[in-house]
Amino acid sequence: MRMTKKGAPVDDHAWAAFEAEALPHADQLFRVAMWFERNRQEAEDLVQDTMTQALQSFHRFQRGTNCRAWLMTILQHIRSNRRRSRFRSPVIDDPEDRIAETIPFVPPLPERLTDEDMLGALGRIPPHLQEVIVMCDVEEFSYKEIARTLAIPIGTVMSRLHRGRALLRQQLRPAAERRQKEI
Amino acid sequence: MQCREVRDLIDSFLAQELLTETNHEILRHLSGCPSCRADLAERRTLRESLQRAFARARDLEPRSEFSAELGVKLRDIAQAPPRRGLFSHWLALAATVVFGVGLVGTLWWTSRLLRDRDLAAAAVGDHRNCALHFALAEKPISLAEAAQRYDAAYQVLEELPPAEILTSSGAARVLERHSCLYAGRRFAHVVLRYHEKLVSLLVTSGGGGISTNVPLDAALHGESSVGRIDDMSVLSFRSAKHTIFLTGDVNRAELSSLAEVLAVPLTRRLSSTQTHRSTLALATASPRLTTVMPPDDSRSGID
Repeated sequence: MRMTKKGAPVDDHAWAAFEAEALPHADQLFRVAMWFERNRQEAEDLVQDTMTQALQSFHRFQRGTNCRAWLMTILQHIRSNRRRSRFRSPVIDDPEDRIAETIPFVPPLPERLTDEDMLGALGRIPPHLQEVIVMCDVEEFSYKEIARTLAIPIGTVMSRLHRGRALLRQQLRPAAERRQKEI
Repeated sequence: MQCREVRDLIDSFLAQELLTETNHEILRHLSGCPSCRADLAERRTLRESLQRAFARARDLEPRSEFSAELGVKLRDIAQAPPRRGLFSHWLALAATVVFGVGLVGTLWWTSRLLRDRDLAAAAVGDHRNCALHFALAEKPISLAEAAQRYDAAYQVLEELPPAEILTSSGAARVLERHSCLYAGRRFAHVVLRYHEKLVSLLVTSGGGGISTNVPLDAALHGESSVGRIDDMSVLSFRSAKHTIFLTGDVNRAELSSLAEVLAVPLTRRLSSTQTHRSTLALATASPRLTTVMPPDDSRSGID
């Protein structure tokens, strides 16, 4: 495969490979970007930047591995750079994280829940816990892929998933009770 | 297999990532463990509910033409000629030969990156990409890691400059310290806020000749000028084995004021760190504050 010095594919063959392997993930990437950014324009910019960078680095993508996970790694990298530009001071302590650490009781997952209930509850838990849940349960990435994407240890992925799901169940309870009353 | 092991593997089991043997072990355990069966069912429900909610949420749907538009833009990028094509390299080589200031062949290729303007342009490019736009291809790493992996002297930037810097034309404040890669060159990078602008202090190993060497004392007395590259003021000085750049969208007097404060302690510390590493007796001569000149075709733009 012929590449430019910047790594961008220049021939039809390289473009065809990118078009077949990476481009079909654009819509799904958008959904995730939209979930995290909550702003359509920013989500579109984020996906466009991600795909542009992926195109220029496509020679680094290992065929046969999970292309969407690779794209998500780039997307997360761009997001983290943007966050760094907005909030340069490091977050020393995250109170929500501390709350999540001390969940006393994990209720079972309620039944009779709507899509709005699910997304509403997910949106109310801390963003770093949302990230792992979206990647594991929505995107079906492996722990290893999530760890690589977020640049955190696998153990952290597992503990965040545990805490995130427990919090999610807590957040779903009021909605479930409402649905129960409606019936 | 114990319950705890099974629960740790349930996500991988649901994603069908496990080896056949492990799958069988889990299935065997599940057949005799109602508690784990319930846990599996619950995780499956959670996963399916979330996937369904994501797939059906209208708010998360891209515009119908989004993919097509993106495809067109990306195709344009793919077909665009590289920024520095073969032609421009040959042209640069020809110019080098004509003016008798360059080398040819492999030597030219290997030394090209060390040339002033490329190095200064890389410093300015890093400032733009990292400090202003945060669009680096590779994630920045800590200075400690960079010191361990690439150059022990980068550790100096952990302490120098201090968090607050007082100059004759105002205070500067350190916002961030890290090491990043730009155009194949590693920099130790300190981002400063100075006169309400972001200014970068960039240190890189080696470095090249500087177009115009001006003795520090001359520069400090206003006898030097600050070059401009890509609409950024840029000024450099050198220690024994490093080139240090200051660059940002500030005027020449402001950048010179900052250099006055930083040049001596920084070059001294960088040189002494090298001495410890290499046990070579490096001369710690006075640093030379230097000016990076812009490319020939924009010389009229020098302040």
